[in-house]
Amino acid sequence: MRKLLTIELIKLLNYTSFKVILGLHFALFTLVVFVSSRIEITVPGFDPSNLFRFPHIWSYFAWIASWFNLLLAILIITVTGNEFSFRTFRQHVIDGLERMELLGGKVLVILLVALCGFLLVLVSGTVYGLIYTGGITASIYFGNFQIVLIYFLQAVSYMVIGLMLAVILRNTALSIIIFVLLRFPVEPILRSFFGPAVRPFFPMKVVGGLTPLPEFLSISSESSFETSGGGNALSLSEIGIVSQGLPLYLQILLAAGYTALFLVITAFILRRRNL
Amino acid sequence: MIVSLNIDFIMQKILELHQLTKHYGRIKAVNNLSLEVEKGQVYGILGPNGSGKTTTLSVILGVIIPQSGTFSWFGNSNGNGGWKRKIGSLIEIPNFYPYLSTGNNLKIIARIKSVPDDDIDRVLSITNLHQRKHSAYNTLSLGMKQRLALAAVLLGDPEVMVLDEPTNGLDPGGIAEVRTIIEQEAEKGRTVILASHILAEVEKVCTHVAVLKEGELLASGKVSELIGAEQVFMISAPDAAGLEEPLVRSGIVKSIEKKGDELFLTCPPSVTAAQLNRFAFDNGVVLEKLIPVRKSLEAQFLELVK
Repeated sequence: MRKLLTIELIKLLNYTSFKVILGLHFALFTLVVFVSSRIEITVPGFDPSNLFRFPHIWSYFAWIASWFNLLLAILIITVTGNEFSFRTFRQHVIDGLERMELLGGKVLVILLVALCGFLLVLVSGTVYGLIYTGGITASIYFGNFQIVLIYFLQAVSYMVIGLMLAVILRNTALSIIIFVLLRFPVEPILRSFFGPAVRPFFPMKVVGGLTPLPEFLSISSESSFETSGGGNALSLSEIGIVSQGLPLYLQILLAAGYTALFLVITAFILRRRNL
Repeated sequence: MIVSLNIDFIMQKILELHQLTKHYGRIKAVNNLSLEVEKGQVYGILGPNGSGKTTTLSVILGVIIPQSGTFSWFGNSNGNGGWKRKIGSLIEIPNFYPYLSTGNNLKIIARIKSVPDDDIDRVLSITNLHQRKHSAYNTLSLGMKQRLALAAVLLGDPEVMVLDEPTNGLDPGGIAEVRTIIEQEAEKGRTVILASHILAEVEKVCTHVAVLKEGELLASGKVSELIGAEQVFMISAPDAAGLEEPLVRSGIVKSIEKKGDELFLTCPPSVTAAQLNRFAFDNGVVLEKLIPVRKSLEAQFLELVK
Protein backbone atom coordinates (compact mmCIF):
# COMPACT_ATOMS: atom_id res chain seq x y z
CA MET A 1 0.00 0.00 0.00
CA ARG A 2 2.67 2.49 1.06
CA LYS A 3 4.94 1.12 -1.64
CA LEU A 4 2.27 1.74 -4.29
CA LEU A 5 1.57 5.21 -2.98
CA THR A 6 5.23 6.29 -3.05
CA ILE A 7 5.61 4.88 -6.57
CA GLU A 8 2.56 6.84 -7.77
CA LEU A 9 3.76 9.99 -6.01
CA ILE A 10 7.14 9.85 -7.75
CA LYS A 11 5.29 9.68 -11.08
CA LEU A 12 2.74 12.40 -10.28
CA LEU A 13 4.75 15.04 -8.44
CA ASN A 14 7.25 15.24 -11.29
CA TYR A 15 4.57 15.32 -13.99
CA THR A 16 3.76 18.80 -15.25
CA SER A 17 0.36 17.93 -16.72
CA PHE A 18 -0.76 16.58 -13.36
CA LYS A 19 0.19 19.79 -11.58
CA VAL A 20 -1.35 21.96 -14.30
CA ILE A 21 -4.69 20.12 -14.40
CA LEU A 22 -5.01 20.02 -10.63
CA GLY A 23 -3.99 23.69 -10.49
CA LEU A 24 -6.63 24.55 -13.12
CA HIS A 25 -9.27 22.76 -11.07
CA PHE A 26 -8.26 24.74 -8.00
CA ALA A 27 -8.04 28.07 -9.84
CA LEU A 28 -11.33 27.72 -11.75
CA PHE A 29 -13.24 26.70 -8.64
CA THR A 30 -11.83 29.57 -6.61
CA LEU A 31 -12.58 32.01 -9.41
CA VAL A 32 -16.18 30.90 -9.88
CA VAL A 33 -16.83 31.01 -6.15
CA PHE A 34 -15.27 34.45 -5.86
CA VAL A 35 -17.11 35.92 -8.84
CA SER A 36 -20.46 34.48 -7.76
CA SER A 37 -20.00 35.99 -4.30
CA ARG A 38 -19.77 39.42 -5.96
CA ILE A 39 -23.03 39.14 -7.86
CA GLU A 40 -25.70 41.35 -6.45
CA ILE A 41 -29.36 40.77 -7.14
CA THR A 42 -31.58 43.59 -6.00
CA VAL A 43 -34.91 41.89 -5.91
CA PRO A 44 -36.82 42.47 -2.67
CA GLY A 45 -36.97 39.38 -0.48
CA PHE A 46 -34.15 37.79 -2.46
CA ASP A 47 -30.74 37.37 -0.87
CA PRO A 48 -28.21 35.33 -2.86
CA SER A 49 -25.68 35.61 -0.04
CA ASN A 50 -27.76 32.93 1.68
CA LEU A 51 -25.91 30.54 -0.62
CA PHE A 52 -22.70 31.41 1.19
CA ARG A 53 -24.06 30.72 4.65
CA PHE A 54 -23.92 27.45 6.48
CA PRO A 55 -25.47 25.01 5.82
CA HIS A 56 -26.44 25.92 2.21
CA ILE A 57 -22.89 26.72 1.26
CA TRP A 58 -22.00 23.02 1.18
CA SER A 59 -24.51 22.15 -1.53
CA TYR A 60 -23.63 25.30 -3.47
CA PHE A 61 -19.86 24.71 -3.33
CA ALA A 62 -20.15 20.98 -3.98
CA TRP A 63 -22.29 21.78 -7.01
CA ILE A 64 -19.73 24.25 -8.37
CA ALA A 65 -16.89 21.83 -7.69
CA SER A 66 -18.77 19.18 -9.66
CA TRP A 67 -18.56 21.36 -12.79
CA PHE A 68 -14.86 20.57 -12.91
CA ASN A 69 -15.06 16.83 -12.39
CA LEU A 70 -14.33 16.47 -16.09
CA LEU A 71 -10.83 17.80 -15.40
CA LEU A 72 -10.27 15.17 -12.74
CA ALA A 73 -11.44 12.40 -15.06
CA ILE A 74 -9.12 13.70 -17.79
CA LEU A 75 -6.31 13.68 -15.25
CA ILE A 76 -6.83 10.01 -14.46
CA ILE A 77 -7.22 9.11 -18.12
CA THR A 78 -3.95 10.89 -18.87
CA VAL A 79 -1.86 9.24 -16.17
CA THR A 80 -3.33 5.81 -16.97
CA GLY A 81 -2.92 6.31 -20.72
CA ASN A 82 0.72 7.21 -20.05
CA GLU A 83 1.31 3.81 -18.49
CA PHE A 84 0.23 2.21 -21.75
CA SER A 85 2.01 4.57 -24.13
CA PHE A 86 5.26 4.46 -22.12
CA ARG A 87 4.72 0.70 -21.74
CA THR A 88 5.44 1.09 -18.05
CA PHE A 89 2.52 -1.08 -16.89
CA ARG A 90 4.25 -3.84 -18.81
CA GLN A 91 7.59 -2.93 -17.28
CA HIS A 92 6.10 -2.84 -13.77
CA VAL A 93 4.87 -6.41 -14.17
CA ILE A 94 8.26 -7.48 -15.54
CA ASP A 95 9.90 -5.84 -12.53
CA GLY A 96 7.61 -7.61 -10.09
CA LEU A 97 4.31 -5.80 -9.48
CA GLU A 98 1.21 -7.95 -9.53
CA ARG A 99 -1.38 -6.93 -12.10
CA MET A 100 -3.82 -6.06 -9.33
CA GLU A 101 -1.21 -3.75 -7.85
CA LEU A 102 -1.28 -1.78 -11.11
CA LEU A 103 -4.95 -1.19 -10.46
CA GLY A 104 -4.32 -0.54 -6.77
CA GLY A 105 -1.88 2.24 -7.59
CA LYS A 106 -4.39 3.98 -9.83
CA VAL A 107 -7.19 3.61 -7.27
CA LEU A 108 -4.89 5.30 -4.75
CA VAL A 109 -4.34 8.16 -7.21
CA ILE A 110 -8.11 8.50 -7.65
CA LEU A 111 -8.67 8.64 -3.90
CA LEU A 112 -5.84 11.14 -3.54
CA VAL A 113 -7.22 13.44 -6.24
CA ALA A 114 -10.77 13.16 -4.87
CA LEU A 115 -9.37 14.04 -1.46
CA CYS A 116 -7.81 17.18 -2.96
CA GLY A 117 -11.22 18.17 -4.36
CA PHE A 118 -12.87 17.39 -1.04
CA LEU A 119 -10.36 19.50 0.89
CA LEU A 120 -10.77 22.34 -1.60
CA VAL A 121 -14.54 22.43 -0.96
CA LEU A 122 -14.03 21.94 2.77
CA VAL A 123 -11.48 24.73 3.22
CA SER A 124 -13.05 27.30 0.89
CA GLY A 125 -16.53 26.46 2.25
CA THR A 126 -15.35 26.97 5.80
CA VAL A 127 -13.68 30.29 4.95
CA TYR A 128 -16.66 31.73 3.05
CA GLY A 129 -19.13 30.30 5.52
CA LEU A 130 -17.36 31.90 8.44
CA ILE A 131 -17.34 35.26 6.67
CA TYR A 132 -21.03 35.17 5.71
CA THR A 133 -22.63 33.32 8.60
CA GLY A 134 -23.19 34.91 11.97
CA GLY A 135 -23.57 32.77 15.08
CA ILE A 136 -22.10 29.43 14.11
CA THR A 137 -22.87 26.26 15.96
CA ALA A 138 -21.69 22.78 15.11
CA SER A 139 -25.17 21.83 13.96
CA ILE A 140 -25.29 24.75 11.55
CA TYR A 141 -21.75 24.03 10.32
CA PHE A 142 -22.38 20.34 9.81
CA GLY A 143 -25.96 20.67 8.63
CA ASN A 144 -25.94 19.52 5.02
CA PHE A 145 -22.23 18.65 5.24
CA GLN A 146 -22.97 15.17 3.86
CA ILE A 147 -23.19 16.74 0.40
CA VAL A 148 -19.42 17.32 0.48
CA LEU A 149 -18.88 13.64 1.19
CA ILE A 150 -21.27 12.83 -1.64
CA TYR A 151 -19.20 15.12 -3.87
CA PHE A 152 -16.17 13.00 -2.92
CA LEU A 153 -18.02 9.88 -4.07
CA GLN A 154 -19.02 11.62 -7.28
CA ALA A 155 -15.44 12.63 -8.09
CA VAL A 156 -14.29 9.06 -7.40
CA SER A 157 -17.05 7.65 -9.63
CA TYR A 158 -16.19 9.90 -12.57
CA MET A 159 -12.53 9.08 -12.26
CA VAL A 160 -13.22 5.34 -12.09
CA ILE A 161 -15.19 5.63 -15.33
CA GLY A 162 -12.19 7.43 -16.81
CA LEU A 163 -9.83 4.74 -15.53
CA MET A 164 -11.96 2.00 -17.02
CA LEU A 165 -12.07 3.71 -20.42
CA ALA A 166 -8.29 4.25 -20.38
CA VAL A 167 -7.66 0.59 -19.52
CA ILE A 168 -10.08 -0.65 -22.19
CA LEU A 169 -8.90 1.69 -24.95
CA ARG A 170 -5.21 2.08 -23.95
CA ASN A 171 -5.24 5.42 -25.72
CA THR A 172 -5.37 8.76 -23.93
CA ALA A 173 -6.93 10.95 -26.61
CA LEU A 174 -9.56 8.41 -27.57
CA SER A 175 -10.49 7.80 -23.94
CA ILE A 176 -10.95 11.51 -23.24
CA ILE A 177 -13.13 11.93 -26.34
CA ILE A 178 -15.26 8.91 -25.46
CA PHE A 179 -15.62 10.12 -21.87
CA VAL A 180 -16.76 13.58 -22.94
CA LEU A 181 -19.15 12.22 -25.57
CA LEU A 182 -20.55 9.67 -23.16
CA ARG A 183 -21.62 12.45 -20.80
CA PHE A 184 -23.13 14.35 -23.67
CA PRO A 185 -24.70 13.41 -26.03
CA VAL A 186 -24.22 9.62 -26.15
CA GLU A 187 -25.80 8.66 -22.86
CA PRO A 188 -28.66 11.21 -23.08
CA ILE A 189 -29.51 9.86 -26.55
CA LEU A 190 -29.38 6.29 -25.30
CA ARG A 191 -31.57 7.26 -22.36
CA SER A 192 -34.19 8.68 -24.69
CA PHE A 193 -34.81 5.21 -26.10
CA PHE A 194 -35.93 4.01 -22.69
CA GLY A 195 -38.99 4.77 -20.67
CA PRO A 196 -38.94 7.40 -17.92
CA ALA A 197 -38.79 4.64 -15.29
CA VAL A 198 -35.43 3.40 -16.58
CA ARG A 199 -33.82 6.71 -17.55
CA PRO A 200 -32.63 7.75 -14.09
CA PHE A 201 -30.62 4.54 -13.70
CA PHE A 202 -27.96 5.24 -16.34
CA PRO A 203 -24.46 5.62 -14.84
CA MET A 204 -23.64 9.16 -16.00
CA LYS A 205 -27.10 10.30 -14.93
CA VAL A 206 -26.76 8.67 -11.53
CA VAL A 207 -23.27 10.04 -10.90
CA GLY A 208 -24.10 13.48 -12.26
CA GLY A 209 -27.20 13.66 -10.10
CA LEU A 210 -25.24 13.26 -6.87
CA THR A 211 -24.60 16.98 -6.53
CA PRO A 212 -27.83 18.53 -7.80
CA LEU A 213 -28.34 22.16 -8.61
CA PRO A 214 -29.05 23.83 -5.26
CA GLU A 215 -32.55 25.13 -4.69
CA PHE A 216 -31.55 28.67 -5.60
CA LEU A 217 -35.02 30.11 -5.35
CA SER A 218 -35.94 28.70 -1.99
CA ILE A 219 -32.52 29.35 -0.48
CA SER A 220 -32.33 32.93 -1.73
CA SER A 221 -35.84 33.80 -0.76
CA GLU A 222 -35.41 32.34 2.69
CA SER A 223 -34.72 34.84 5.43
CA SER A 224 -31.27 34.43 6.78
CA PHE A 225 -32.61 34.19 10.30
CA GLU A 226 -34.86 31.25 9.61
CA THR A 227 -33.70 27.67 9.54
CA SER A 228 -33.72 25.92 6.23
CA GLY A 229 -36.69 24.24 4.66
CA GLY A 230 -39.19 27.05 4.98
CA GLY A 231 -42.60 25.56 4.30
CA ASN A 232 -43.81 27.98 1.66
CA ALA A 233 -40.50 28.54 -0.13
CA LEU A 234 -40.46 27.82 -3.82
CA SER A 235 -38.64 24.69 -4.91
CA LEU A 236 -37.10 24.41 -8.36
CA SER A 237 -38.21 20.83 -8.69
CA GLU A 238 -41.68 21.60 -7.44
CA ILE A 239 -42.20 24.25 -10.05
CA GLY A 240 -40.80 21.91 -12.71
CA ILE A 241 -37.51 23.63 -13.60
CA VAL A 242 -35.53 20.60 -12.42
CA SER A 243 -36.94 17.16 -13.01
CA GLN A 244 -37.37 15.09 -9.92
CA GLY A 245 -34.88 12.20 -9.81
CA LEU A 246 -34.38 9.22 -7.58
CA PRO A 247 -34.20 9.61 -3.83
CA LEU A 248 -30.73 10.62 -2.68
CA TYR A 249 -29.94 7.45 -0.77
CA LEU A 250 -30.73 5.40 -3.88
CA GLN A 251 -28.54 7.66 -6.02
CA ILE A 252 -25.66 7.12 -3.58
CA LEU A 253 -26.13 3.36 -3.54
CA LEU A 254 -26.36 3.22 -7.32
CA ALA A 255 -23.28 5.41 -7.80
CA ALA A 256 -21.28 3.29 -5.36
CA GLY A 257 -22.54 0.17 -7.09
CA TYR A 258 -21.58 1.43 -10.54
CA THR A 259 -18.15 2.45 -9.25
CA ALA A 260 -17.59 -1.01 -7.81
CA LEU A 261 -18.80 -2.63 -11.02
CA PHE A 262 -16.47 -0.52 -13.18
CA LEU A 263 -13.55 -1.35 -10.91
CA VAL A 264 -14.33 -5.06 -11.25
CA ILE A 265 -14.49 -4.72 -15.04
CA THR A 266 -11.16 -2.86 -15.03
CA ALA A 267 -9.60 -5.53 -12.81
CA PHE A 268 -10.93 -8.28 -15.06
CA ILE A 269 -9.46 -6.67 -18.17
CA LEU A 270 -6.11 -5.96 -16.53
CA ARG A 271 -5.87 -9.53 -15.31
CA ARG A 272 -6.72 -11.16 -18.61
CA ARG A 273 -5.01 -9.05 -21.22
CA ASN A 274 -1.44 -9.13 -22.51
CA LEU A 275 0.48 -6.03 -21.52
CA MET B 1 30.40 -44.71 6.85
CA ILE B 2 30.53 -41.08 6.02
CA VAL B 3 27.86 -39.85 3.70
CA SER B 4 28.77 -36.63 2.00
CA LEU B 5 26.59 -34.67 -0.30
CA ASN B 6 28.36 -32.72 -2.89
CA ILE B 7 26.24 -29.68 -3.53
CA ASP B 8 27.92 -29.01 -6.85
CA PHE B 9 26.39 -32.12 -8.31
CA ILE B 10 22.87 -31.08 -7.52
CA MET B 11 22.10 -28.75 -10.34
CA GLN B 12 19.56 -26.24 -9.29
CA LYS B 13 16.88 -25.60 -11.85
CA ILE B 14 16.34 -21.90 -12.34
CA LEU B 15 13.73 -21.99 -15.07
CA GLU B 16 11.63 -24.70 -16.60
CA LEU B 17 9.30 -24.29 -19.57
CA HIS B 18 6.87 -27.05 -20.31
CA GLN B 19 5.11 -27.21 -23.67
CA LEU B 20 4.51 -23.51 -23.85
CA THR B 21 2.26 -22.36 -26.69
CA LYS B 22 1.23 -18.84 -27.63
CA HIS B 23 -0.68 -17.93 -30.77
CA TYR B 24 -1.46 -14.48 -32.08
CA GLY B 25 -4.53 -15.22 -34.13
CA ARG B 26 -3.38 -17.84 -36.62
CA ILE B 27 0.28 -17.07 -36.17
CA LYS B 28 2.06 -19.44 -33.84
CA ALA B 29 4.57 -17.27 -32.01
CA VAL B 30 5.67 -20.03 -29.66
CA ASN B 31 4.79 -23.63 -30.31
CA ASN B 32 5.07 -26.38 -27.72
CA LEU B 33 8.35 -25.09 -26.35
CA SER B 34 10.09 -26.88 -23.49
CA LEU B 35 13.38 -25.68 -22.01
CA GLU B 36 15.39 -25.96 -18.85
CA VAL B 37 17.89 -23.47 -17.51
CA GLU B 38 20.14 -24.39 -14.61
CA LYS B 39 21.94 -22.26 -12.11
CA GLY B 40 25.09 -20.60 -13.36
CA GLN B 41 24.38 -21.15 -17.02
CA VAL B 42 24.61 -18.36 -19.52
CA TYR B 43 21.76 -19.51 -21.67
CA GLY B 44 21.37 -18.14 -25.15
CA ILE B 45 18.09 -18.19 -26.99
CA LEU B 46 19.02 -17.85 -30.59
CA GLY B 47 16.78 -17.34 -33.56
CA PRO B 48 16.05 -15.04 -36.44
CA ASN B 49 13.67 -12.12 -35.99
CA GLY B 50 10.13 -13.35 -35.43
CA SER B 51 11.18 -16.74 -34.10
CA GLY B 52 9.38 -16.26 -30.78
CA LYS B 53 12.24 -15.17 -28.52
CA THR B 54 10.58 -12.06 -27.13
CA THR B 55 7.21 -13.77 -26.81
CA THR B 56 8.82 -16.58 -24.83
CA LEU B 57 10.54 -14.15 -22.48
CA SER B 58 7.35 -12.07 -22.12
CA VAL B 59 5.44 -15.18 -21.13
CA ILE B 60 7.93 -16.27 -18.47
CA LEU B 61 7.89 -12.76 -17.02
CA GLY B 62 4.11 -12.67 -16.79
CA VAL B 63 3.23 -9.94 -19.28
CA ILE B 64 1.86 -12.25 -21.96
CA ILE B 65 -0.60 -14.95 -21.08
CA PRO B 66 0.04 -18.22 -22.98
CA GLN B 67 -2.69 -20.38 -24.51
CA SER B 68 -1.25 -23.48 -22.93
CA GLY B 69 1.80 -24.86 -21.18
CA THR B 70 3.44 -23.99 -17.91
CA PHE B 71 6.64 -22.46 -16.64
CA SER B 72 8.26 -22.32 -13.25
CA TRP B 73 11.02 -20.24 -11.75
CA PHE B 74 13.32 -21.56 -9.02
CA GLY B 75 11.42 -24.84 -8.93
CA ASN B 76 8.21 -23.30 -7.66
CA SER B 77 5.13 -23.21 -9.73
CA ASN B 78 4.24 -19.59 -10.11
CA GLY B 79 1.96 -18.17 -7.57
CA ASN B 80 2.43 -14.80 -6.08
CA GLY B 81 5.61 -14.16 -4.28
CA GLY B 82 8.89 -12.39 -4.42
CA TRP B 83 10.44 -14.54 -7.13
CA LYS B 84 10.64 -11.64 -9.55
CA ARG B 85 12.84 -9.76 -7.12
CA LYS B 86 15.55 -12.29 -7.90
CA ILE B 87 15.27 -11.61 -11.63
CA GLY B 88 16.45 -8.55 -13.50
CA SER B 89 14.92 -8.25 -16.95
CA LEU B 90 15.30 -6.18 -20.05
CA ILE B 91 12.72 -7.09 -22.67
CA GLU B 92 12.98 -5.43 -26.08
CA ILE B 93 13.24 -1.69 -25.75
CA PRO B 94 13.75 -0.01 -22.39
CA ASN B 95 10.48 1.29 -20.92
CA PHE B 96 10.83 4.37 -18.74
CA TYR B 97 8.93 7.57 -17.95
CA PRO B 98 10.38 10.06 -20.45
CA TYR B 99 9.75 13.07 -18.21
CA LEU B 100 11.33 11.55 -15.10
CA SER B 101 15.02 11.76 -14.31
CA THR B 102 17.26 8.72 -14.57
CA GLY B 103 17.42 8.55 -10.78
CA ASN B 104 13.65 8.77 -10.29
CA ASN B 105 13.03 6.14 -12.95
CA LEU B 106 15.33 3.78 -11.10
CA LYS B 107 13.75 4.74 -7.79
CA ILE B 108 10.36 3.48 -8.99
CA ILE B 109 11.93 0.14 -9.95
CA ALA B 110 13.83 0.00 -6.66
CA ARG B 111 10.52 0.43 -4.81
CA ILE B 112 8.87 -2.30 -6.87
CA LYS B 113 11.73 -4.68 -6.12
CA SER B 114 12.00 -3.54 -2.48
CA VAL B 115 15.62 -2.59 -3.03
CA PRO B 116 17.08 0.20 -0.89
CA ASP B 117 17.56 3.50 -2.72
CA ASP B 118 21.34 3.54 -2.22
CA ASP B 119 21.67 0.67 -4.69
CA ILE B 120 20.75 3.16 -7.41
CA ASP B 121 24.15 4.84 -7.21
CA ARG B 122 25.90 1.48 -7.46
CA VAL B 123 24.13 0.46 -10.68
CA LEU B 124 24.51 3.93 -12.17
CA SER B 125 28.27 3.76 -11.72
CA ILE B 126 28.49 0.22 -13.14
CA THR B 127 26.74 1.46 -16.27
CA ASN B 128 28.69 4.70 -16.27
CA LEU B 129 25.62 6.92 -16.03
CA HIS B 130 26.36 8.55 -12.73
CA GLN B 131 26.70 12.02 -14.20
CA ARG B 132 23.25 11.72 -15.77
CA LYS B 133 21.43 10.83 -12.58
CA HIS B 134 19.37 14.03 -12.70
CA SER B 135 18.83 14.18 -16.46
CA ALA B 136 15.37 13.48 -17.78
CA TYR B 137 15.19 10.13 -19.56
CA ASN B 138 14.18 11.71 -22.88
CA THR B 139 17.44 13.69 -23.00
CA LEU B 140 19.58 10.52 -23.05
CA SER B 141 21.16 9.07 -26.16
CA LEU B 142 20.06 5.65 -27.39
CA GLY B 143 23.16 4.02 -25.94
CA MET B 144 22.56 5.66 -22.58
CA LYS B 145 18.94 4.53 -22.58
CA GLN B 146 20.04 0.98 -23.19
CA ARG B 147 22.64 1.28 -20.41
CA LEU B 148 20.00 2.67 -18.08
CA ALA B 149 17.86 -0.37 -18.86
CA LEU B 150 20.84 -2.50 -17.93
CA ALA B 151 21.24 -0.50 -14.72
CA ALA B 152 17.60 -1.29 -13.92
CA VAL B 153 18.32 -4.98 -14.55
CA LEU B 154 21.22 -4.90 -12.09
CA LEU B 155 19.22 -3.21 -9.33
CA GLY B 156 19.12 -5.36 -6.23
CA ASP B 157 21.86 -7.68 -7.46
CA PRO B 158 19.51 -10.27 -9.03
CA GLU B 159 20.36 -13.98 -9.20
CA VAL B 160 19.12 -14.17 -12.75
CA MET B 161 19.36 -11.71 -15.61
CA VAL B 162 16.94 -11.99 -18.51
CA LEU B 163 18.11 -9.95 -21.48
CA ASP B 164 16.36 -9.63 -24.80
CA GLU B 165 18.52 -8.25 -27.61
CA PRO B 166 20.46 -6.05 -25.17
CA THR B 167 22.70 -4.63 -27.89
CA ASN B 168 19.91 -3.89 -30.35
CA GLY B 169 20.35 -0.59 -32.14
CA LEU B 170 23.65 0.31 -30.52
CA ASP B 171 26.79 1.46 -32.28
CA PRO B 172 29.90 -0.78 -32.09
CA GLY B 173 31.19 1.10 -29.03
CA GLY B 174 27.87 0.70 -27.27
CA ILE B 175 27.68 -2.98 -28.18
CA ALA B 176 31.14 -3.59 -26.75
CA GLU B 177 30.26 -1.70 -23.58
CA VAL B 178 27.02 -3.58 -23.00
CA ARG B 179 28.67 -6.90 -23.77
CA THR B 180 31.46 -6.19 -21.30
CA ILE B 181 28.91 -5.47 -18.58
CA ILE B 182 27.08 -8.73 -19.32
CA GLU B 183 30.33 -10.71 -19.31
CA GLN B 184 31.41 -9.17 -16.02
CA GLU B 185 28.07 -9.97 -14.42
CA ALA B 186 28.08 -13.53 -15.79
CA GLU B 187 31.53 -14.06 -14.30
CA LYS B 188 30.08 -13.34 -10.88
CA GLY B 189 28.17 -16.60 -11.19
CA ARG B 190 24.86 -15.13 -12.15
CA THR B 191 22.51 -17.10 -14.34
CA VAL B 192 21.92 -15.21 -17.57
CA ILE B 193 19.22 -15.84 -20.15
CA LEU B 194 20.10 -13.98 -23.30
CA ALA B 195 17.94 -13.80 -26.38
CA SER B 196 19.69 -12.69 -29.52
CA HIS B 197 19.74 -13.02 -33.26
CA ILE B 198 23.44 -12.20 -33.28
CA LEU B 199 25.41 -15.42 -33.35
CA ALA B 200 28.72 -13.93 -32.42
CA GLU B 201 27.15 -12.54 -29.28
CA VAL B 202 25.77 -15.90 -28.20
CA GLU B 203 28.95 -17.70 -29.18
CA LYS B 204 31.09 -15.29 -27.18
CA VAL B 205 28.97 -14.99 -24.07
CA CYS B 206 26.87 -18.13 -23.65
CA THR B 207 27.57 -21.57 -22.25
CA HIS B 208 24.31 -23.08 -23.48
CA VAL B 209 22.06 -22.30 -26.37
CA ALA B 210 18.60 -23.07 -27.67
CA VAL B 211 17.85 -22.37 -31.30
CA LEU B 212 14.34 -21.30 -32.21
CA LYS B 213 12.64 -20.97 -35.54
CA GLU B 214 9.00 -19.96 -36.00
CA GLY B 215 8.32 -20.69 -32.37
CA GLU B 216 9.74 -24.18 -32.38
CA LEU B 217 12.87 -25.50 -30.73
CA LEU B 218 15.33 -26.70 -33.36
CA ALA B 219 18.24 -27.63 -31.14
CA SER B 220 19.55 -27.03 -27.67
CA GLY B 221 22.62 -27.90 -25.68
CA LYS B 222 26.05 -26.70 -24.73
CA VAL B 223 27.49 -24.17 -27.14
CA SER B 224 30.70 -26.21 -27.31
CA GLU B 225 28.77 -29.37 -28.18
CA LEU B 226 26.66 -27.70 -30.82
CA ILE B 227 29.75 -26.29 -32.39
CA GLY B 228 31.85 -29.41 -31.79
CA ALA B 229 29.34 -31.92 -33.13
CA GLU B 230 31.28 -31.94 -36.36
CA GLN B 231 34.54 -30.55 -37.51
CA VAL B 232 35.79 -29.52 -40.88
CA PHE B 233 39.29 -29.80 -42.35
CA MET B 234 40.50 -28.21 -45.50
CA ILE B 235 43.09 -30.20 -47.44
CA SER B 236 44.78 -29.66 -50.73
CA ALA B 237 47.25 -31.70 -52.76
CA PRO B 238 47.96 -32.05 -56.50
CA ASP B 239 46.43 -35.52 -56.59
CA ALA B 240 43.90 -35.08 -53.81
CA ALA B 241 41.02 -36.22 -56.02
CA GLY B 242 42.21 -39.78 -55.63
CA LEU B 243 41.72 -39.53 -51.89
CA GLU B 244 38.01 -38.83 -51.97
CA GLU B 245 36.78 -42.37 -52.35
CA PRO B 246 39.04 -44.05 -49.76
CA LEU B 247 38.33 -41.29 -47.24
CA VAL B 248 34.60 -41.76 -47.41
CA ARG B 249 34.88 -45.53 -47.45
CA SER B 250 37.10 -45.57 -44.37
CA GLY B 251 34.51 -43.67 -42.36
CA ILE B 252 36.99 -41.00 -41.28
CA VAL B 253 35.07 -38.48 -43.30
CA LYS B 254 31.32 -37.98 -43.40
CA SER B 255 31.13 -35.75 -46.43
CA ILE B 256 33.37 -33.94 -48.83
CA GLU B 257 32.85 -30.61 -50.50
CA LYS B 258 35.07 -29.52 -53.35
CA LYS B 259 36.00 -25.90 -53.86
CA GLY B 260 38.57 -25.48 -56.63
CA ASP B 261 41.70 -27.39 -55.65
CA GLU B 262 40.65 -27.57 -52.05
CA LEU B 263 38.63 -30.29 -50.36
CA PHE B 264 36.54 -29.53 -47.31
CA LEU B 265 36.15 -32.67 -45.18
CA THR B 266 33.43 -32.89 -42.59
CA CYS B 267 34.53 -35.35 -39.91
CA PRO B 268 33.22 -36.70 -36.60
CA PRO B 269 34.68 -34.84 -33.58
CA SER B 270 37.10 -37.68 -32.74
CA VAL B 271 39.12 -37.31 -35.94
CA THR B 272 42.41 -35.43 -35.63
CA ALA B 273 44.53 -33.67 -38.22
CA ALA B 274 47.37 -36.14 -37.61
CA GLN B 275 45.03 -39.03 -38.41
CA LEU B 276 44.08 -37.44 -41.70
CA ASN B 277 47.69 -36.71 -42.58
CA ARG B 278 48.73 -40.30 -41.90
CA PHE B 279 45.75 -41.61 -43.91
CA ALA B 280 46.68 -39.47 -46.90
CA PHE B 281 50.34 -40.47 -46.70
CA ASP B 282 49.42 -44.17 -46.42
CA ASN B 283 47.35 -43.77 -49.55
CA GLY B 284 50.29 -42.27 -51.39
CA VAL B 285 49.22 -38.63 -51.28
CA VAL B 286 51.38 -35.94 -49.74
CA LEU B 287 49.27 -33.07 -48.53
CA GLU B 288 50.27 -29.52 -49.27
CA LYS B 289 47.74 -27.98 -46.92
CA LEU B 290 45.90 -29.38 -43.92
CA ILE B 291 43.93 -26.77 -42.03
CA PRO B 292 41.26 -27.38 -39.38
CA VAL B 293 38.36 -25.07 -40.17
CA ARG B 294 36.31 -24.17 -37.15
CA LYS B 295 32.72 -24.60 -38.07
CA SER B 296 31.12 -21.55 -36.59
CA LEU B 297 27.83 -21.38 -34.80
CA GLU B 298 26.74 -19.26 -37.69
CA ALA B 299 27.15 -22.06 -40.20
CA GLN B 300 25.53 -24.43 -37.77
CA PHE B 301 22.71 -22.03 -37.19
CA LEU B 302 22.08 -21.40 -40.86
CA GLU B 303 22.00 -25.12 -41.45
CA LEU B 304 19.49 -25.57 -38.67
CA VAL B 305 17.11 -22.84 -39.73
CA LYS B 306 17.24 -23.77 -43.41
